[in-house]
Amino acid sequence: MPAKKSIRVTKAQQQIVKTPFDQTVFLEGAAGTGKTTVGTRRIRYMFEEKVAPDSILILVPQKALALPYYDELKRKKTAGSQVGVMTIGSLSQQMVDLFWPLVAEEAGFKHPMKRPHFLSLELVQYYMHKIIGPEIDRNGYFNSVTINRNRLFSQIVDNLNKASVVGIPYQEVGERLKSAWQGDETQKHVYDDAQRCMTRFREFCLENNLLDFSLQVHVFIDYLWPMEAPRHYLLNKFRHLIVDNSEEDNPVTHAMLGDWLPQCDSALIIYDTDAGYRRFLGADADDAYRLKAHCDTHAMLDRHFTMSDDMTAFAVEMAETLHHPLEGVKVKRKADALAAIEFPESIRYHPQMVDAVVERIAALIYDEGVPTSEIVVIAPFMSDALRFALMTRLEAYDVPARSHRPSRALREEPAALALMTLAKLAHPAWQMRPTTFDVAHALTTAISDLDMVRARLLVDVLYKKGQLAAFDNIRNAEIQQRITFELGERYDMLRQWIDEYQQEMSPQLDFFWSRLFGELLSRNGYGFHDDFDATRTAANLIDSARHFRQIIGSIDPDAPLAKDYVEMVQRGILADAYLDWQLEDTESVLLTPAYTFLMSNRAVDYQFWINVGSPGWATRLYQPLTHPYILSLQWEQGRKWGDEDELAANQDALYRLVLGLIRRCRERIYLGFSELGEQGYEQRGELLMAIQGMLRRRALEEA
Amino acid sequence: MNLLGDFTFSQSSLQDDVDCPRRFELRYLKRVRYPAPETQDMLEFEQLMQHGADFHRLIHQYILGIPTELLTPFADEAPLNLWWRHFLADGLRDVPDEKRLPEMTLIAPLGDYRLLAKYDLLAITPGERAVIMDWKTSRNLPKREWLAAKLQTRVYRYVLALAGDELNDGAAIPPDAIEMRYWYAEHNRVISFPYSEAQFAEDERYLLSLIAEIEERDIFPLTTDDRRCRFCTYRTLCGRGNEAGLLDEYETDFEITLADDFDIDLDQIAEIEF
Ligand code: SF4
Repeated sequence: MPAKKSIRVTKAQQQIVKTPFDQTVFLEGAAGTGKTTVGTRRIRYMFEEKVAPDSILILVPQKALALPYYDELKRKKTAGSQVGVMTIGSLSQQMVDLFWPLVAEEAGFKHPMKRPHFLSLELVQYYMHKIIGPEIDRNGYFNSVTINRNRLFSQIVDNLNKASVVGIPYQEVGERLKSAWQGDETQKHVYDDAQRCMTRFREFCLENNLLDFSLQVHVFIDYLWPMEAPRHYLLNKFRHLIVDNSEEDNPVTHAMLGDWLPQCDSALIIYDTDAGYRRFLGADADDAYRLKAHCDTHAMLDRHFTMSDDMTAFAVEMAETLHHPLEGVKVKRKADALAAIEFPESIRYHPQMVDAVVERIAALIYDEGVPTSEIVVIAPFMSDALRFALMTRLEAYDVPARSHRPSRALREEPAALALMTLAKLAHPAWQMRPTTFDVAHALTTAISDLDMVRARLLVDVLYKKGQLAAFDNIRNAEIQQRITFELGERYDMLRQWIDEYQQEMSPQLDFFWSRLFGELLSRNGYGFHDDFDATRTAANLIDSARHFRQIIGSIDPDAPLAKDYVEMVQRGILADAYLDWQLEDTESVLLTPAYTFLMSNRAVDYQFWINVGSPGWATRLYQPLTHPYILSLQWEQGRKWGDEDELAANQDALYRLVLGLIRRCRERIYLGFSELGEQGYEQRGELLMAIQGMLRRRALEEA
Repeated sequence: MNLLGDFTFSQSSLQDDVDCPRRFELRYLKRVRYPAPETQDMLEFEQLMQHGADFHRLIHQYILGIPTELLTPFADEAPLNLWWRHFLADGLRDVPDEKRLPEMTLIAPLGDYRLLAKYDLLAITPGERAVIMDWKTSRNLPKREWLAAKLQTRVYRYVLALAGDELNDGAAIPPDAIEMRYWYAEHNRVISFPYSEAQFAEDERYLLSLIAEIEERDIFPLTTDDRRCRFCTYRTLCGRGNEAGLLDEYETDFEITLADDFDIDLDQIAEIEF
């Protein structure tokens, strides 16, 4: 692992770091000006000055943004307590978990004397399918909308979350959306349907002590925070606040901080200008800026440490092109915006562009010695097809690459597929008989050294009507020898294990898998023995099934949980992504959607922007059930959302996105463009227009 | 060198190393997940763990000041109801009440690394004494000598002596002001361990020797006490049998404790990502 670059702090930074411990500071500045460095150094300084670590709370909008702080904390070798690192989500969950008996009844839960159950996102999706799905079918909701169920449910959940983090009663969401709508009436029915679904889901949660993210935050902010005991507990415990990326947090968090600031000893509120990328999750940068008024001291950092001089020139050029000239940024005389980018000659087809990008990456690595971790490939959306194309081409050049999410969902991992197939084989009553292909595939995963050809031979002869017959049922000696008796014996042991299990089945699917794994599949000679990727997949699948059983089983003990689980996995609702971010290999090229990269808040030397002609850089996702601008504090109620609003919003989003990316790049940006996009259409998106506009202006100036 | 500079030890990881170096290697260095059953009676085991976690939460809530009458309904099932009655009667008997810090984590340096202790309750009268309370929910009452040898007994007292300043008005807590008490909920019994300068020095020597050994090891040997393997999920990987042992035997020979994992990942909630 390369040594971490050591960072020297400037006098201006040092001054903020050493602010007395009875002061609150609002620190603003653009990305790359060293604000988070101030945050981490402040922590170090507090330790040196013997501030009790457990009186410090680091609050960030999402976990990944705390990584620089975790790094700093791990470096601490002095004795003491532990700093709290939280998001509003984790803080809410911990507080609700602890103070539940004080609020459960008042908050409207039907069983206040029973424990609450916190729902993971996958269980929210599960209940959406179970509870809301049938309602939609019965009542014919959303007839005019053609998007798949999962996305429909995501937007219903999203509305609940936004209501909660913006501080709007969830019962008003539908009306708010309707009041801003000025198109045809059918869309208003869609909003009404969305409201009904939200209401039904919330009622179901209240009836069963279930708390999704929205309800956790609601109970914390609206019930616990105003209450003496929990509030006193928090104010007393955390006397010092460090809040990073406050612009990416939401109004209820800002309101809580507004209350907290006058009562804490010290605070550092960090605000990134020109950001606000989590708007569609309820983030509100304008609202965050109001925290400035609650702070004793205001500080600003404006010297860029990340961008090269040429990159700074490019940032200035692009900002001007996007009608937001940067104030106070000086461009060095010799700096050249065009030297910061590469915009290859016109390429007609998308695959050629992907090839060109990959070739350039390989050249950077092999010819110029650039570390893989300093290269990131960015697209407005990273489709599976695009990710696959990039991954396979990079692999051909022997360039390690990683994706913002696992290349496969957990349920698609061969180890998980094999466990699912074996579960179906062992539970014929489910009537989910696996295909011969699935069984052969499961056997190759489960039994070491068994290849697909021999597995097919086995299955063709021995797998009949959902049952596996004994190896000696193969009468043909030649086939037996081809498979080998050793593998035949392993196969028989697996078959016998299933037979014995069927004498005394367990209703807990996770127990079934755990025993099958422990008693057989992890033995020497079986596929999971020392394949630690496969064992991790098995562990994740078992965790997911256990969590499902514990929560769903506590609400409905008679439900056929094991079968339900398998069905839901097959439908793509459960066992989706299980990314262990602590195990992520950072020594590789990262492929990521633009916003995900921005939210990781780190800089790299080289960025490759893919599909710069795509309209996706400046267009919101199609979300017919929700609206990030109307469901915000800034939206004047009753006003209609018009084309000019859409245009202004898109332009503003593009500006923030482009500047955010440039400010996180040190050396060069490669602009990947093909005349025909991924789908084969001409590409003329706003980003492309802006880049071409800038190039034209430069050409005129130079002429 | 087997360890990264930011490695954090805990009593669980050190105990693993003492019990079986191979287990330490698999679990903490290679981070191998191996989801075999710990015991044959999986449901009962799970319930015991769940009751233990519920009981710890109840005490945490009680110490934070949530009225008893609001908490008692959450302890309406056996064995929680019995534990709770015992706790209300005697759990905090003679426990300092000037400063009670539930679920407190302290970290102390240990050689080039860090040593973490996660306490159920630290009860301190600043300048006078500090009592470490540890709630135990196992059904068997262990022998005192067995507990005395546990890494938990050493690590918890040692870390408090090194890292307790901020809880004691800025002054180090002298070892002889420290007492560690295991309180067994099922039996309503306390097993207590005082501390001393000599024991502190001995613990330091011992703990440093443990990590020096870990650092220098070329291979991490398998335990010679293969009874442990029956309750260890890596048993097939190590060629130490295929079936988990019975819960009763587990409880007789060892003690079920709640996981004391040191991952600083506090963010358990699934948030919507981009
Ligand atoms: S199975 Fe036995 S030898 Fe292997 S890691 Fe576990 S305790 Fe150690």
